[in-house]
Amino acid sequence: MSGKILEFSHVAAGYGDREILKDITLSIHEGEFTGLIGSNGTGKSTLIKCISGLLPLNRGNISICGKENATLKSRERAQLVAVVPQSYHVEYDFTVEDIVMMGRNPYLGFRKRESQEDYDIVSEAMKATNTEVFRGRFYNELSGGERQRVILARAIAQKPRIILLDEPTSALDIYHQMEVMELITKLNQKEHMTVLAVLHDINMASRFCQRIVMLQEGTVFMDGTPQEVINRRNMEALYHMKLMIRESPLFHKPEIVPIRVMEQEKIEVPRHIHIICGAAEAVNLIEELDARGCTVTAGVLDKQSEDWKICHQLGIPCVDIEPFTSVTEEKQAKNLELMKDADMIVVANVPFGEGNIQNLHGLEFTCGKIYIHKNALCDDYTDGKLAKRVKDIEKRKEITYFENDREFLDLLKQTERQ
Amino acid sequence: MKKIDRKWAIPLSIAICLIIMYICTVTGVASISFRDANRILLHEIFHLNVDLEGISNGSITIIRNVRLPRVVLGFLAGASLAVCGCGFQGIFKNPMADPFVLGVSSGAALGASIGIVLHFDSRLLGMSGTTVLAFAGAFLTILLVYNISKVGKKVPVSTLLLSGIAVSQTLSAAMSVIMIMNKQSMDQIMFWTMGSLNGKGWNQILTVLPYSLLGILLLFTTCRELDIMLTGEDTAIQLGVNVEFLKKKVLFAATVITAAVISVTGIIGFVGLVVPHIVRMITGPKHRTLMPLSLIFGGTFLIICDTAARSLAVWEIPVGIITSLCGGPFFIYLLSRMKKGGNFS
Repeated sequence: MSGKILEFSHVAAGYGDREILKDITLSIHEGEFTGLIGSNGTGKSTLIKCISGLLPLNRGNISICGKENATLKSRERAQLVAVVPQSYHVEYDFTVEDIVMMGRNPYLGFRKRESQEDYDIVSEAMKATNTEVFRGRFYNELSGGERQRVILARAIAQKPRIILLDEPTSALDIYHQMEVMELITKLNQKEHMTVLAVLHDINMASRFCQRIVMLQEGTVFMDGTPQEVINRRNMEALYHMKLMIRESPLFHKPEIVPIRVMEQEKIEVPRHIHIICGAAEAVNLIEELDARGCTVTAGVLDKQSEDWKICHQLGIPCVDIEPFTSVTEEKQAKNLELMKDADMIVVANVPFGEGNIQNLHGLEFTCGKIYIHKNALCDDYTDGKLAKRVKDIEKRKEITYFENDREFLDLLKQTERQ
Repeated sequence: MKKIDRKWAIPLSIAICLIIMYICTVTGVASISFRDANRILLHEIFHLNVDLEGISNGSITIIRNVRLPRVVLGFLAGASLAVCGCGFQGIFKNPMADPFVLGVSSGAALGASIGIVLHFDSRLLGMSGTTVLAFAGAFLTILLVYNISKVGKKVPVSTLLLSGIAVSQTLSAAMSVIMIMNKQSMDQIMFWTMGSLNGKGWNQILTVLPYSLLGILLLFTTCRELDIMLTGEDTAIQLGVNVEFLKKKVLFAATVITAAVISVTGIIGFVGLVVPHIVRMITGPKHRTLMPLSLIFGGTFLIICDTAARSLAVWEIPVGIITSLCGGPFFIYLLSRMKKGGNFS
């Protein structure tokens, strides 16, 4: 790893009496692409303001390229650090080229006017951000995504060593979000520019940043690779909400799936519900029953199936088997043990084949009421064994059929009333 | 609006300005024939050996010592006020700012009224007492406003505007008190506050010129940084502009200019507000074009207004009234047109 380019030591800063940053100690190395995450009001943007000289520190110090930040003149600082804010509006009719040329200001003076070299740098910056096609148009007349590219071009024209981005994609649609993030990645990789970006979108941060720093209550809470920082424990501490972390199969980076913030209405008499599933269709039902306060168990599940993942995330007891293996008698015995005390046994929407038909074995001897999703009977890959098995169960026990999760939840409410 | 090619804008404007200066010099209430006026001008300006026989000495004096200095002072005052307007509108990022927004005019007016009431006549540095006191009043006001607005080492623009308004109102009230207590001087004070170039000669021009030149030169060095200020103060800092120094520089330069001009002419409103505005509509917001063109058109505008002031009626109308009378409605017309088409810039 190359040298430290940006160092914070015990930084504290705030507005008036309100201290936002309490004690930040952090080093950013040259060439890194670091994402700064944290919930609203934890001081991410404040940190950017401190670096760019907008906000004086109460304590501690920041050094940029080995120089004390507080002693840098704004000109000198602007030659080292460029800032890309959230998409912003300019009330006056400046052309795109005028705006990008403003990036050359730190190198110009009263006596030194724009030279051919400055115009070349501006042209290059516009080329790199695909903005040269509208160089003569007014900045005001551009769309949000186009404006953000222009501001990025201005930052490039500054020829900085560090680019600071303050929620650069927050006002953009996903196409333009991706475009801006890809441009920044390109700058980081090709021009070896050090990037420090405040990002709200955790998935975006996980995907593009090599390193993620998580702030909480004005201090560094976690610092590491996306895999180290984005896990359920950290994210729940950060956002105080129900969420799920899974690995994105496409990028092999952790991905956050927010589930809900507000508590679900609880069921008055909590019941033990056992769910027979193992594909991907029971995820919603498992989560909802769990959120409503039911005791949920499940089995027998293929490891790595979506149903298994949600059970794993929510800590739901289940019986599982290795992927692509069959349910053995031994496993089913464990499954029956798990559903022994269940008030309700639900056969979710899962296709049955030779591998998992064993799952329905012995159901007729349980004491819980049995509910079967109608679709489970449609996908029969067992040569009629499924229909026979269901008939056998029906000989001894009543089966209630339901068409979708909503209907099952209604049935649950009805039994509650009885 | 299509922006006029910058390369041609300035030479073209200078040409228009010179033509108007010429027309305004040869027109007036005194009956000097067009031919005579031209002959006097050729003699006076280009020192050509023109035969002035048959032209009365009175006519020569009117052209040389009345009309020419008025045209020159008119240009100087108008140009100075318009450039100050540009500077103020730039640092305040507010198209409604003008050279008087921080109360310079009230300070000057109070100073002048004190001078008039006390018959203060010092002839300090070749200036009349009223002029000296007006200049001092203007300067002290800005110092006061600046210090009230200061928060630590910074001077936030919003507090600057608000304290400017507050101080200005207070000083106006003080001036009213002086006027009421000295009813015999009321007319004189009223006339002073309306602004006039009447009776001003080469001496006054020499008084104003150094301050104006110094101030205008200073303001011209801030063009690029003022452009960046228009995109926001935070952005300006991040792009390497020393914002606090820039504010001080513009405030100082504009105050020097405004104080010098209005201490001689009285308060001439609207030039500093309207001219930069109209020029911005035509050329766009870049100060490198905006400032020189505002200078030229500010000067031209005031010359036209002053010519109207001395020619429309048999008695002299204060030029401040004319600038407001012409500028106001024209401005309203522009605003209503802009409302349909978009923003003001």
